Amino acid sequence: MESASLAAGAHPDDHHHGPPEAHESSKIDRQTLGILLFIITETMLFGAFFASYFFLRVVANEGPWPPEPFELPVLIAGFNTAILVSSSFTMHWALESIRAGNHRGLKMGLVSTFLLGATFLFIQLNEYVHIGFSARDDAFGSIFYGLTGLHGAHVFIGLTLLAIASVRAFRGHYGPAAKDHLGVEVPGIYWHFVDVMWIIVFVTVYIL
Amino acid sequence: MTSALTSPGWWRGLFYFLIGAGFGFGLVIALRAISGLDLYQTEPTGYPHIVVPAITGPLGFLIGIGCFDYWFRWCAGAPTIPDDHADHGAKTWKDYFKVNTDHKVIGIQYIVTTFFFFFAGGFLAMLMRAELAQPGTQIVDPGVFNGLFSTHAALMIFVFVIPVFAGIANYVLPLMIGAPDMAFPRLNALSFWMLPIAGALFLASYFVPGGAFDAGWTGYAPLSTGAPLGQSFFNLGVQFAGASSVATALNFLVTIITMRAPGMTIWRMPLLVWANLSTSLLVVAATPFIAGVQFMVLFDRVLHTNFFQAAFGGDVISYQHIFWFYSHPAVYIMMLPGFGIISEVISTHARKPIFGYRLMALALLGIVILSYTVWAHHMFVAGMFEWLRVPMMITTLLIAVPTGIKIFSWLGTLFEAKIHLKSTAMLFSLAFIVTFTIGGISGVMLGMIPIDIHVSDTYFVVAHIHFVLFGGSVFTIFAGIYHWFPKMTGRMYDERLGRIHFWGTLVGTWGTFVPMHWIGMEGMPRRVADYAAEFGNWNLMITVSAFILGAVQLVFLYNMIVSWRYGPKAGPNPWRAKTIEWQVSSPPPIFNFDEIPRVVGGPYEFGVPGARHAIMAGEEAEVKRPEPSRAGIGAPS
Repeated sequence: MESASLAAGAHPDDHHHGPPEAHESSKIDRQTLGILLFIITETMLFGAFFASYFFLRVVANEGPWPPEPFELPVLIAGFNTAILVSSSFTMHWALESIRAGNHRGLKMGLVSTFLLGATFLFIQLNEYVHIGFSARDDAFGSIFYGLTGLHGAHVFIGLTLLAIASVRAFRGHYGPAAKDHLGVEVPGIYWHFVDVMWIIVFVTVYIL
Repeated sequence: MTSALTSPGWWRGLFYFLIGAGFGFGLVIALRAISGLDLYQTEPTGYPHIVVPAITGPLGFLIGIGCFDYWFRWCAGAPTIPDDHADHGAKTWKDYFKVNTDHKVIGIQYIVTTFFFFFAGGFLAMLMRAELAQPGTQIVDPGVFNGLFSTHAALMIFVFVIPVFAGIANYVLPLMIGAPDMAFPRLNALSFWMLPIAGALFLASYFVPGGAFDAGWTGYAPLSTGAPLGQSFFNLGVQFAGASSVATALNFLVTIITMRAPGMTIWRMPLLVWANLSTSLLVVAATPFIAGVQFMVLFDRVLHTNFFQAAFGGDVISYQHIFWFYSHPAVYIMMLPGFGIISEVISTHARKPIFGYRLMALALLGIVILSYTVWAHHMFVAGMFEWLRVPMMITTLLIAVPTGIKIFSWLGTLFEAKIHLKSTAMLFSLAFIVTFTIGGISGVMLGMIPIDIHVSDTYFVVAHIHFVLFGGSVFTIFAGIYHWFPKMTGRMYDERLGRIHFWGTLVGTWGTFVPMHWIGMEGMPRRVADYAAEFGNWNLMITVSAFILGAVQLVFLYNMIVSWRYGPKAGPNPWRAKTIEWQVSSPPPIFNFDEIPRVVGGPYEFGVPGARHAIMAGEEAEVKRPEPSRAGIGAPS
């Protein structure tokens, strides 16, 4: 009753009160839903490059794959995969820590995830330097650098998000309530996506 | 002056643009110097020292104008300051030129910007028709003509039709579902500001060495991978427009899913909301494909990769597959929001509930799913896999089923209705049904492999796309603009000028595009500046009609501008519609509602005694009175 009369009374200057609270018509919060939808977009971006990959490999290529004389360092990439996969576990540790109110665990988890991710990126760049062919060497080189480079760019974006989450964690921003650590959870979801996508890229490019 | 360079706005935007462009330029030169290459690479496809600044400069502009200020502060972990809503709502016209988080301001920013590009693209079309008025060379040489039709299409598709729907929905949709704003207002602002950049990049290609991009809006490789510098501007413009489109679609989806008013179940959502839900699903999942493929073209051009170089193991046809995997769904991205607008307008002005409301919504989702399965019908003559042709033909023809459901539902809604022909919006909606049906039928014809082979790359294709895109999408856009003009501006437009605009547009559209079917059947090739003498008379008629069509749009422009300023006051609900946006003042209050309304029924319950769609905050008190007066229950007028 009180709210109705309040609404009926005109506000002399409506710039001084904020918007009404939106009704929540879904259990999922906006940020989580947003990142999940964004991951659909990202998956389809990879899909475009995978489509190109299979056209080049299956339709345009006639001999063996990788074509002569290209060779891929499967072992190093496999080692690198293990590093990136382990970073998903440290990310999960960070999230579980803040859910339990453990700020030290949150910081440790975020920083170790960041370091593992950075190590992955460093090893990948090192691989590029020593791999012996460039993106200009045949369509194979183009799509190899296209797919792994696209993924590397996503690792970089993920690392940026982790760095932001870490900075905010060290400045004491997050709390155990679900809405108080979205800034950890959302980058975490993205990081898991980057991880899973690498497994698909790795299996496709190096193993298949 | 220093404060202008440190606070968000155009001066800082310009300043950061220069910094960004300078950084990109310096980076390229430095890298080339380190690698021991020539500092300036000026092969036609190259020019990295222009291409890279064309990326970093606009990003600098976006930072400078203030799209990222809040986020940077948040990222740095600075203490949170309570939002004073200073960047929300427009008090003067100048606020429309700033970064604003109000969905109503952003909606108008979108609409005005996209109509600027509509007139720019339309001007290019007029130049094309002037050239084609007679056989031989009239005003431009063939090379310039290629640039004209390419930029015309790119402007109309990427920075007019697709985003103008986002603009209309931006304004109307949060009001319709009873939300105070979009889910991510700052992302919404960023989405808008990427749009003028895309259009500016398309237009800027006229001023670079080699001239505007001229490989068509489709930019097929290897034509595009070998084209002069302007093509890179196309690649980049598509990226900005695509990013804008994806961000808006995400925003719509999250808004629709999480912010509907209490009582608004999915089966009580207006069809415009359904249409934008479907469109956004398409945008989110399809747009990355064009982003990906334009990146590949750009890499082939500037970095000399071999994605599409057949001599080095590349696959040329793969461009078309990936491109059309976006661009076929894109034609529904350009049509579904229009379907939503038509449903709103027809139901309101026919004073009847939508016939088959649920099937209308499901037909939209059916189109979404089917549209992913038809892309290769653009490639019947491209030399693709033989086995893919017939499946693609079948799925293409299947799409006519959900589309037909929609057409017949509109006809069912109109059947025995009290049709208000006074409104220009309704005239455009009725004309849309007829014109779009014809365009749809020529689409079914093109979906059949033998006919497609016969008319491939002729004016029949041009006639089809303009019947569905101009007679379809643009008619719905006009219907939407006229319908919600009173809501957006608080004033009525001039119906007499509206009718002049309508009849001129209708006659112009049919006069321009109907003969194109015939000359296409006869074999006049599209995208060519000259043609056989036998087509001369038809082309003269097409050109005259096109000039009428172009001239009458100026009437529209005049009507909108003058009515916005001097039109009679409209009142909250001039059309006596039921949906929520009409239950608030015109233009709506700064935060839309004092209190979120409560939805109690379907959106189109016209003629049902006592039926309500939503109960607004103030009205609830009246209804609760022990002795309700009858006046409180009837439809507000």
